[in-house]
Formats: sequence, structure tokens, C-alpha cells
Amino acid sequence: MTAQRQASSASQSLLISPAELSYLYTSLSLPDGPIRPDGRSPTQFRPLTAETDILPGTNGSARVGFADGTQAIVGVKAEVEKTVVAAEALNLSQQQTQEDYADNEGGEGQKTSSHGHGSWVQMSIEIPGFRDDDALPVFLSEMMREPLVESVAGAGDGMGGDEMAGGLKGRLVINKRWHWRLYIDVLLLSQPLSYPLPLLSLTTHLALLSTKLPKLKSKGEEDPFFDDDWNAAEYLYPRSPSGPRLSSTKQVRPPVTLLVISVGDNVIFDPNREEIAVADTVLAVSVTQDSDSDGLKLLSIRTVDPPSRLTQPGVSNSENVATLGSTAAAEEAAMTDPSTGEEVAGVWRPRRGGVKRRTIAKMLKLVLQKGGVGEEVLEGLEGVQVG
Amino acid sequence: MTDRRRINGPPSGTRPAVFASSLKSASSISTGRPRRQRQPDELRKIFLKTGLIPSASGSAYLEFEPSASLAAARSNPQSLIPPSSALKLACTVHGPKPLPRSASFSPNVVLTTHVKYAPFAARQRKGHIRDASERDLGVHLETALRGVIVAERWPKSGLDITITILEAEDDRWWGDAPDSHDAPWGMMNVLAGCITAASAAIADARIDCLDLVAGGVAAIVSDESAEGETSTPKLMLDTDPAEHKSILSACVVAYMPSRDEITELWLKGDHSKASLGTTDQSLNHESLIDGAVNAARGAHTVLAEAVKESAERFAGLSTGANTV
Repeated sequence: MTAQRQASSASQSLLISPAELSYLYTSLSLPDGPIRPDGRSPTQFRPLTAETDILPGTNGSARVGFADGTQAIVGVKAEVEKTVVAAEALNLSQQQTQEDYADNEGGEGQKTSSHGHGSWVQMSIEIPGFRDDDALPVFLSEMMREPLVESVAGAGDGMGGDEMAGGLKGRLVINKRWHWRLYIDVLLLSQPLSYPLPLLSLTTHLALLSTKLPKLKSKGEEDPFFDDDWNAAEYLYPRSPSGPRLSSTKQVRPPVTLLVISVGDNVIFDPNREEIAVADTVLAVSVTQDSDSDGLKLLSIRTVDPPSRLTQPGVSNSENVATLGSTAAAEEAAMTDPSTGEEVAGVWRPRRGGVKRRTIAKMLKLVLQKGGVGEEVLEGLEGVQVG
Repeated sequence: MTDRRRINGPPSGTRPAVFASSLKSASSISTGRPRRQRQPDELRKIFLKTGLIPSASGSAYLEFEPSASLAAARSNPQSLIPPSSALKLACTVHGPKPLPRSASFSPNVVLTTHVKYAPFAARQRKGHIRDASERDLGVHLETALRGVIVAERWPKSGLDITITILEAEDDRWWGDAPDSHDAPWGMMNVLAGCITAASAAIADARIDCLDLVAGGVAAIVSDESAEGETSTPKLMLDTDPAEHKSILSACVVAYMPSRDEITELWLKGDHSKASLGTTDQSLNHESLIDGAVNAARGAHTVLAEAVKESAERFAGLSTGANTV
């Protein structure tokens, strides 16, 4: 049970020997840029296959598979639900609006109703071998839900911006009394060979891109009534009519969460299982694209517990009895204080301590800068044929 | 998952009624929001004491100073609803202790963190079973502490850290509609408190660490001024979510001052509009992280005092035992 517990916050990568770990660490932390086990460049992602709209019973769905055989399916379902307003909030907001009406002749009376509620988006993640209340699925779903409900677009100053005012939460509002509830169900089909965050995040992004909601026929505060023609349905995230290639006006896009690790002074994107096992720092960075600024928006950062802290240390020759390098004094020192031995080159030590601020700044710069990895990923996902 | 073994109260507690006659006017509600009386870079006072739970190998109790508005409301009550709440939590450390025989070999100490809100901790009642947000806090705390503890000194042992939150920070002012800003901002203050208290309790249990890790929070808030307009966004340290109309973005760090390293970073929120509106370039994620680090530095001074007190008590105990 404890092994399970440990594996839940890190990934299951405890079966690499200290010698292998040390080899990996050395090659990934080379000063002239890392040499990755699969020959990728530091910012290159693993090749993947993706398709959308695979499940006819959902509002939107996607499947992404990596070349190593890990696959994930995401289905998005939407339901209409009555908005419950807490009694005291209702009273207060009514009083507020009355006051507003009195103040500026009913100018901004409806403004309060355009906000959605974060709990309208529900996300559940199923990973084989984990219970649904284990730490890993809970952490992953919170990590991916947080930027989704957090992203708030600018207040409608451009085409397409109007619909997405208030972000995804605002888009889910039908009128004051009704709203959409969005269920995002993530299913990892294979064993989690590497930390599954990039896979799940890319799949969720694609599924949300392909999500359609039925066209609303009723107006204003009427009970909602929808067009039953599925062809008339509207995308949850509005798409530009003249094809995705035209990017003069940027569209609001669902957030995407990137997994970034640092090894030594190097920053590596989309780590596979071996690379994440020796990482000094693991960061999950969520970014999105907005209509009112041309850059990327940072939505959330979380540190992920690097699995390198759980590995077994290697023993250097000078301390090892079997290699005749050990003296009685060294052995004594090792007995009383096994961990103060300084770093010996080529001998693996589990990582300790945290991350410097300048390393974090460097990682974020690589994600957020113009033409950086974040833009590249969003562009690549845009290229996937949707619909 | 609902708790079926106990007879639970209503899932959402009932609130005392606010009678219209007790309110002077509707505007008194909007001005009823507690105001921040501190400077932007001034922290709340922290009460931190170790060794309160004798049966645990280490323990700590942490309390934030209640805001001035709460004290004023207690002396001169206007309403039955307290205007704000302040964090109170207790942390216990059990171990290092041998792992059960059935457990597989571990070269490092197996750290287990468990964060639980007391059912009465927040305005909304919490169940007896940990929900997703509490598990999430537990994972954050584990990440923060695992980087600090020198784990290979206790192979084959376990270390359990349990935190009970007796009173939690509010996520928003109670008078705000729940959809005004519904993100759980209070959780971030709770996490910072958990990190600081757990660090003190681990030191109290005499477990080897690289440094005393302290938690700190900073946020970019856009406050409403006296005229009811929202002013330009500002960076503030140790924000009480009840005191602010809208929090754009907030950040928690677990920070080790002597190594200048961060073991846990949790930043969320969209602050792009804050830097758009003004020419002030300081409202970006880097200044937010720096602000949180400064807040953690402040908490570290309190932490160092509490640990010193714990060490003195320990020294006094051992010399006392020798003389008798």
C-alpha cells in the first residue's frame, strides 16, 4: 500500500538502477544542451496521433495516442441545469441592481448575471491501477480543471470576444436561471508509463475544441429551448469561419498544460519516463490564448513532486566495501552520517532541496515567449482537423 | 462520495437570517466588507507554538491574527455573521516509525501527509471524508516537505504528518454573490499556513531537514475604492480574500531562505489584464513569485523563534532529567 502511495505522487519509475540514473542525469545536464534518450531536441514533443469526434454520444470527444502505446480518450458531455442562487446572495444582488438602476438609469443591471460558476465544470480522470480518490487522479484533475475555470477573456472588444466574455464559465451561462453543466471525463486507456499529464491535457484540449452545444432558440429569460438540428449546433469555443489558418484575429482557446522539467541547467519539455526520473524540478504550466492580447496568457503553475527524490542512492567506490576502497574511517563516517558525503561524479544521489527562482523564470520564458513552445503547441493542436 | 455511516447534518448549514430592518440601507452591505488595514507588504501576525500534543513526536499550532474588522465586530456587533475568519490549524508529526512488515522496501522515509478541515472550519460545512480539495492540499504539502526532509537517513520508515484545520480562511467575503469570484483563494492561505506549521512540527520532532521551509502568499488584487470603482491592480502580500473584491492572481511558495530555493510553487489566476491596464511592468508572474517569497521570509522569522523555543524546551527537559 505504501508503494502504491509513493507511486501516486510521482510516476512509476522506481525500477531504474542508480548507475542508469546517473548516466541519464549526466547526459541530460550537459552544458551544450541535453542529449535525450530518444534523440529529440529539448523542446520537441513526442510524435502522436490524434483524432476528434470519435464518440457520437458526446458533445465533443478526442483520442490521442503516443508512439509508446499510451492512449487517452476524453468525452465532454453537457447538461442543462437550473441555476441555484443562494438566498442571501440573491437579495444582495437584487438590492445592488436596484441601486445600480437608480444610479445610472439601468446601465449595468445585468452585469452580475454574466458570471458563471467554477463548479459547473466537472472533471474526472480514470487511470488504470488507481482508485478515483488516490492522490494522482485527484491532483491531475484539479491541475487541469483549475486553468479551465480560471481563464477569463476580455470583456468583448472584438469579434468572437463577445461570446467568450467571462471565459468558459461565462460561456456556460444560458440566462439568469439556466446554465450548462460540463462533464469532462478523461480515460487513460493504457498503464501510465510516463507522467500522464501532457497526454491528458492535449486530449482534453482537443475534446473541448470539438465540443458543440445545441443552438439556442429561446431568447432572454425564457426557459431554454434548443434547435434539434445537430448541424446547427455551435462550438463551445467559437472557431473562425474562414478556416483555422487565418490567425490575424486570435481566437480564445482552451488552456493547455505543459510539463516542463529542469535537469542541471537544461530545460526539457514533454519528458518521457526515463527523463522525468532524474529531473531536478517538474513544473506543470498552463497557458492559453486570448482574443485581446497577442501573446500567451499564463493561467497556473504547479510544482509536481519529482520522482528523483524517491530513488535509491548509488555507492561510490571509495565507500564500497566490495571494491576494497573502503577504509575503517570512511565506513565509520558513512555509518554515523550517511548523507553528508559530497557529490562524487558519476554516482547517483537523489535530488534534494528545491528550485532556484531564476530556473523557474527560465522555464516560464521558454513557454511564454513569442514563438516559444506554448505557441507552437497551440498551433499544432489547431492543425488537427476538427469536425 | 457521501458518508453513510454517520448521521450527518444538512450538507450546507443554515445561515442566520439577515433581516432587512437590521440593515440601515443596501449600501451598508457593500461598505460592510472588511477593509485591509495593513500596508501592502505587511503580514498578519502569526502565533506559532510547538509541542502542544504530548503523544505525538512533534506538533505545532498556528494561528493568524484576526483582522481588525473582526475585533471591531465582536465588540460592537452589527450582525450575527462574523465579517471574516482567521486561519487556525494544528499539525502533528508521528514518526519516523517502522513501516509495517507487509510494506515493500523503501530506501527513503515514506512521507504521508493528511490535511483535513474540521467540519465546522469553514462557513460551508465540510464532511467527515476528505474531499478533492483536501486531498489536493495534501499533495501540495507533500511536495513542499519532501524537498526539505533528508529522506535517506530513515530507510524503511514512515513519517505521518496530519493537519487539522480548525478555522479556515474565507474564499470571498460572505456578502458577495458566490459567482463573483468563486475560485478557492482561501485554500492558498491555508496551504501556506500548513507548510509553516508542518515545518515547525517536523523540527519539533527532531527530523533532519535542509532548512526550515516557510510558506508565503502574494496576490494581485484590484480593490474597490471608496467611490465603488475598481482601482488599478496592486501586488499585496498575505492577502485575506474576504478583504478584496476581486483577486486576479495569487501565488503560494514554500521557500527555504538559507538556500534561496523554492520547493513548492502554486500560482493560479489570470493577471494578464492587470499588466495590460497599466504601464506598470511589475505586475507579472515573476514579481508575484518574488512577493510570495518575501511573505515566506517574514513567516520564517516566526518559525525560527518557535523552533528555538522548542529546542530550549527540549534542552531543559534533558538537563532536568539528568539532575533528578
